[in-house]
Amino acid sequence: MTWPELRASAAMIRREHQLACRSAAFWAMVALGSLLVLWRATVPGTSAALAAYQTRQTIVLGVGVVAIFLGGAAARDRRYAVSELVLAKPWGSSPALVVTRFLGVCFSLLGATAIMLLVSGVGQAVLGGTPWRPGPYVVALLVSAIPIGLATALGFSLATLFTTPLASGIAALYWVVIPLTRAHLPMAFDVTLWQDWPKSLLLGAALVSLTAALYARSARREGGSGRRAGWTAALLFAAALAAVLVVTARGDDGLLEPDPVLSAMASQVAVEDRGAPGFWLTDSEGRLVGLSDFRGGPVVLAFWGPGAPHSARALTLLDEVAGEFQQQGLACIAVLLDRDAAAMRLFGGEGEDGVLLLWDRGRHFGDGMEWSDSPLAVSYGVTAVPTAFLIDQKGTLVAGLHGESNLHRLRPAILRLLGER
Amino acid sequence: MQIEIRGLRKVYPGGVTALDGIDLTIPPGVFGLLGPNGSGKTTLMRILATLLEPSAGEAYVDGHDVRHDKAAIRRMLGYMPQEFGFYPSLTVYETLDYFGLLCRINDPSERRSRVEQSLGRANLDEVAGRRVSTLSGGMKQRLGIAQALLNDPSVLIVDEPTAGLDPEERMRLRNLLVELAAGRIVILSTHIVSDISVTAERLAILDRGRVLFAGPVAELLAPLEGRTWIIDIGEEELGQIREQYFVTGVFRSATGMQVRVIADEMADSRGYSAAPTLDDAYVTTMKQEARLDDVA
Repeated sequence: MTWPELRASAAMIRREHQLACRSAAFWAMVALGSLLVLWRATVPGTSAALAAYQTRQTIVLGVGVVAIFLGGAAARDRRYAVSELVLAKPWGSSPALVVTRFLGVCFSLLGATAIMLLVSGVGQAVLGGTPWRPGPYVVALLVSAIPIGLATALGFSLATLFTTPLASGIAALYWVVIPLTRAHLPMAFDVTLWQDWPKSLLLGAALVSLTAALYARSARREGGSGRRAGWTAALLFAAALAAVLVVTARGDDGLLEPDPVLSAMASQVAVEDRGAPGFWLTDSEGRLVGLSDFRGGPVVLAFWGPGAPHSARALTLLDEVAGEFQQQGLACIAVLLDRDAAAMRLFGGEGEDGVLLLWDRGRHFGDGMEWSDSPLAVSYGVTAVPTAFLIDQKGTLVAGLHGESNLHRLRPAILRLLGER
Repeated sequence: MQIEIRGLRKVYPGGVTALDGIDLTIPPGVFGLLGPNGSGKTTLMRILATLLEPSAGEAYVDGHDVRHDKAAIRRMLGYMPQEFGFYPSLTVYETLDYFGLLCRINDPSERRSRVEQSLGRANLDEVAGRRVSTLSGGMKQRLGIAQALLNDPSVLIVDEPTAGLDPEERMRLRNLLVELAAGRIVILSTHIVSDISVTAERLAILDRGRVLFAGPVAELLAPLEGRTWIIDIGEEELGQIREQYFVTGVFRSATGMQVRVIADEMADSRGYSAAPTLDDAYVTTMKQEARLDDVA
């Protein structure tokens, strides 16, 4: 591609961006989303990471749906009767045009995401009363880019190929239903999870490439057959979704990809005065950390999850405990329960030096868990967060403190354990 | 440079034959395509604009095959379809800039100059900053012409450009088309005869996918020279005149009614000879075709 062609593509992206962000629907979405994230970020005590996490959750779902409706350039061309003007131009049916238009819509939606994160940050700092840090918001923007891009690719492709907004509706239904379903089978189709970004990126690229290849043909198709194709796709989608939900309702949906390590971790049982269940979990850098790494010193193992914002207070308690008993060799581990690895990216820099943040990496696991689908939480019998366990120098489980109301017993338990030594 | 069409056929999937073996040669200048609704004009234009594949036959635009050299044709083509719209949220200038990008005018300064040139030609300079959603119907039609002129096309195809325009806008658009015809082919499709009579040097009359006439306007009028008459009549006589003569037009006059008729000889003493118009020729051609059909 030559330099003038690159400049022309950038100009086209700018025009597409104008087209998207001059619509009332776009600004209504930004206003509504901003109000929603502001409301959550201004709860007193909400940290920057928690506000960024909550904003990201809202954005991925909300912006994803809007992305799907804004997506279809060909559907938009048909709505405004611009199709023939566009197609008769030298660049009108070029695959490069499809990609450029797609990028223009992505650019607009990332702009909307940035605005909402900014609103959330200001709300958190001014009304939440906690220190503002740019890091989590920047990370939230980065880890939102792929799910939003994929949502746009889904809507863009369906609407462009079927040249009807109905197809976008189908994609939007998918976007809402799948991530909200906690059962195994539908969750396998959840494309919002950060850890699946290579899969999402490939899927998005494949969708846009296919659309670019078929665009000219589909855009020329007469309205009637486009509508027929849209309805056919809608019916097929509804049938597939119904089948998945029926299987899920019967409770016989198994893991699509059983993981022996996760299964082994979950098969352990935590019993007081017996050996504590071991683990291999990843830290914020992606390194594997095991319980055996802390043999020889006492360990506090706390479970919490940003899905239950109050449980983040356990981090504050752990910070204090870690500082207080650092000299005695106490290790403090906060296990983050969330099926989305994006949470680790956001909270990775949250803890003080004394607290090690690990991610219970299991997904599609632990039927009935409220906070996560996490094998270690299953093995420790965690049913509510925050929950903390005390493990002695020999690896024996000394105490389990379930729920926030029992956390005040942690310090006396540590003192007792250290006193015994 | 010319457009060559040989044996062109288009049959839509439902079995409707829109074009049934069209042969045409279109040289530079304004070329009128005249015919009733459903005669195949739009189908022919869409094939020439590379938006539709013909079912059979050949069409070449300056030697480029409409089936295989689409990119080459689009580079030299300006097309304004019968029904079109624009993105309402863009301004007139932004709209033309957008279409300039689609024309692959990659250099920003060249694009700016082409956009300004097109705005000037379509007399839209004063509304360049206005959103398209605020434009009148006539302005939108002119914007349609402006976008078709961005790449300085050697072939300009306009489909029913004057439909829905007020008389002033219609005249302005016709004048613009005549100005644009210098050095390029302008194909003007319409079912309004006066659009062609004031702009085109050559024309083709289409009916049900077939060419009834193709050639210079003068050639179409020639058979009617000396056979076209005007008769001043009373209103009650119209039925009788219709039985007696082939009537091409009825007009109200200060004294009653005037009818235009085609006849080899005029028996009525009130009749006087008139110069044939394109309306006379068009109506006569269509009537002859209907008679041939009846005979068949």
